[in-house]
Amino acid sequence: MSKFTISRRGVMLGMAAAGLIPMTGIGLASAAEPKAGGILKVSHSTRIATLNPLTLSGPAEYPCLDMLYSGLTRIGVDNKPMADLAESWEGSEGATVFTFKLREGVTFHDGSALTADDVVATYEAILDPDRPASARSVLTMIDSVEAADDLTVIFKLNSPFADLPTATAHANARIVSRKALEADPATLETTVNGTGPFKLETYDSAQMVRLVKNENYFIPGKPYLEAVEMHLFPDLAAETANFLNGQMDVMLTVQQADYERIAGSAGIEAKRIPSGRFVNVVMRHDAKPWSDVRVRKALAMSVDRQMLVDVILEGLGRPAHDNILSPEYQYVIDSPEVPYDPAAAKALLAEAGYPDGLKVTMVASNRPAIRAQVAVAIKQMALPAGFDIEVETMPHDTYLANVWMKGDFYIGYWGMQPTADAAFRLLLTSDASYEDSAWKNKEFDALVDEGRETLDPAKRAEIYAKAQQMMLDDQVYIIPFWEDLLTASSDKTEDYNLAPINRYFYFENVWLDQEA
Amino acid sequence: MPKSFLAPNALVGIFLLLFTAAIAIAGPWLAPYDPQAFDALNRLQGPSFTHLLGTDQFGRDLLSRILNGAPTTVLFGVFATLLGVSIGAIIGVIAGVAGGKIDNAIMRILDGLLAVPELLFTLLIVTVLGGGMGQAMLAVAVAFAPGMARISRSAVLSVRTRDYVRAAVARGESGIYIVVREVLPNALGPIIVESTIRVSFAIMIGATLGFLGLGAQPPSTEWGLMVAEARQFMFRNPWCVAIPGIFIAMSALGFNLFGDALRDSLDPRRSH
Repeated sequence: MSKFTISRRGVMLGMAAAGLIPMTGIGLASAAEPKAGGILKVSHSTRIATLNPLTLSGPAEYPCLDMLYSGLTRIGVDNKPMADLAESWEGSEGATVFTFKLREGVTFHDGSALTADDVVATYEAILDPDRPASARSVLTMIDSVEAADDLTVIFKLNSPFADLPTATAHANARIVSRKALEADPATLETTVNGTGPFKLETYDSAQMVRLVKNENYFIPGKPYLEAVEMHLFPDLAAETANFLNGQMDVMLTVQQADYERIAGSAGIEAKRIPSGRFVNVVMRHDAKPWSDVRVRKALAMSVDRQMLVDVILEGLGRPAHDNILSPEYQYVIDSPEVPYDPAAAKALLAEAGYPDGLKVTMVASNRPAIRAQVAVAIKQMALPAGFDIEVETMPHDTYLANVWMKGDFYIGYWGMQPTADAAFRLLLTSDASYEDSAWKNKEFDALVDEGRETLDPAKRAEIYAKAQQMMLDDQVYIIPFWEDLLTASSDKTEDYNLAPINRYFYFENVWLDQEA
Repeated sequence: MPKSFLAPNALVGIFLLLFTAAIAIAGPWLAPYDPQAFDALNRLQGPSFTHLLGTDQFGRDLLSRILNGAPTTVLFGVFATLLGVSIGAIIGVIAGVAGGKIDNAIMRILDGLLAVPELLFTLLIVTVLGGGMGQAMLAVAVAFAPGMARISRSAVLSVRTRDYVRAAVARGESGIYIVVREVLPNALGPIIVESTIRVSFAIMIGATLGFLGLGAQPPSTEWGLMVAEARQFMFRNPWCVAIPGIFIAMSALGFNLFGDALRDSLDPRRSH
């Protein structure tokens, strides 16, 4: 069983390293010594409609979640799991049993102590099929969760899964007290009793959510800020103006069109974080004409990826070549460049039986605007190749009800996932949560299952490489670019950082340099 | 030509109206470029000799897009108004001719509808019907109907007791004959004036709906939608917002000034 020994050592080493990190924070180099105090004002443009940690999904809801609650583990800026409430963890040989050791003396915001029982209650709620929970799809391999003592939780899995510490870092797998879970589920929507660095003070979803310092946060000395205020600006122009004239300290999301102007303003530090966020063209493989791989390949060759990056992302992204995994993922392969070649595309289309071109209707929802922009751009680019694409835009709700996961040809938009396994299971495997291409390739499914159970990183890389090659050969989607995350902060805001997957914000490290 | 059409306001109105009509009819054929063609190297440019009005965020020629969008935008206003006027006129004439309880019932309902501002009313209807040009046109027509009904009713009431109507009644003519041949032609003046002015409102409401994403949809070249799409880039190239805005204003102003002149010329107190 030499295979297991090697892999186990690898798993254990990773854990030991992660276990050491929490004492030093996530090691963001900063020249100055952090100062405590101050109120950080954050602007955002989407409503914070709920604070339910199990289900929330809004772009401005995630930072609140990250400040109010803690999970067993958390994803660091390096896209790897780090310790959060669990100070260490250990996987059994074969990765079927995981033991998480909780920190001592962690309390909820109401003063009650965090125990292993709360962790068990949270995971039972997540795995309860009668309860909505976003984290369930990445945690289905959990067979049982038990509390060995007050500070030890044992996860038993029904199949080996080396990535469990990444799965437990899922943004919606934050630990909630048993008491809160057993109360009326509606109370979770508006009230918070978490273990995070900040406590909820005011929740007004139409204007402002104010969070104040948790004096008993489990990392001594943090957070530095007295309070964080999340201000809602439904109008982007108003948000930008308020941020630029110094009313706000952080602008959570910057639009590509505004980035250059904001980055060029005095006293502002704008950030670009390369991410695996992408727009994809969905072509249902069980519907004509997309059932023919040549038609899919022809369209892929009719998309000028660099031009899309320049025109739609204003250069704030990278061209992609149809691999669902961006370069940030572990196990990603170098996917070959798909050149923009309308002549070759036209020839391929003729070979597939469409010598006179092809008339198709592409659906793009109106939110966010990037979907329709990509659709309109692809329509133009694919014209010389013989694709006559009619773009049909529709309100997002209509799209979700009538087209999404049903339509033959439309524009999707997805964020980055923590692991290759999560990305494959989100969209590509036959039983994926949002399987929308009707690809349903049994061989691919088997590879993904095998990858999940394989502990040897080298072997795993080989399996995932094969799976990715299969996805590229079959031209499952057209993925033209990776979109960078864009955010900005004032000069006096220090140590503000985002993770590429845009679910973790580390506000406990942020401090205000009042003299600057 | 009546004197009222020679007033400076009227002349400007007539000129703008002719200009609008010309681009609404011939615009797509006059466009120097393909309005949808991208030019990644010349994005967000100001006016130049190659692109007379500059380019938008995809490098598309703004002049070509304006010319191409003229029929959509202007005809939207015209047809929405025609539809609204027809609905309103039918209701108003029925109320005016019938009188009594029917008149009372119709007018009280219309009063209720008139209490809701037009744009708000349109938004309500579009929200219920869903976005799109057809729905938006219907919404504007329905929103215009109560006001038009009120105007046509009062016009009908003012001619209903005239001698020539009484003569027709005395001759034993049928009700429909009296309405179509005697009442309507003589009540038409105010209705035409009002509808000319309303076209400008319809154009503006249409553009507003396009701007809000409830009317025309990309890649349409409807002017309101052009403003909405370019808004993000306002600080990079103000032209791409200003130009469709100016064209919306010009066409609305044209109809408005012309309508004013028409009213002056039809006003009996100013007749010559």
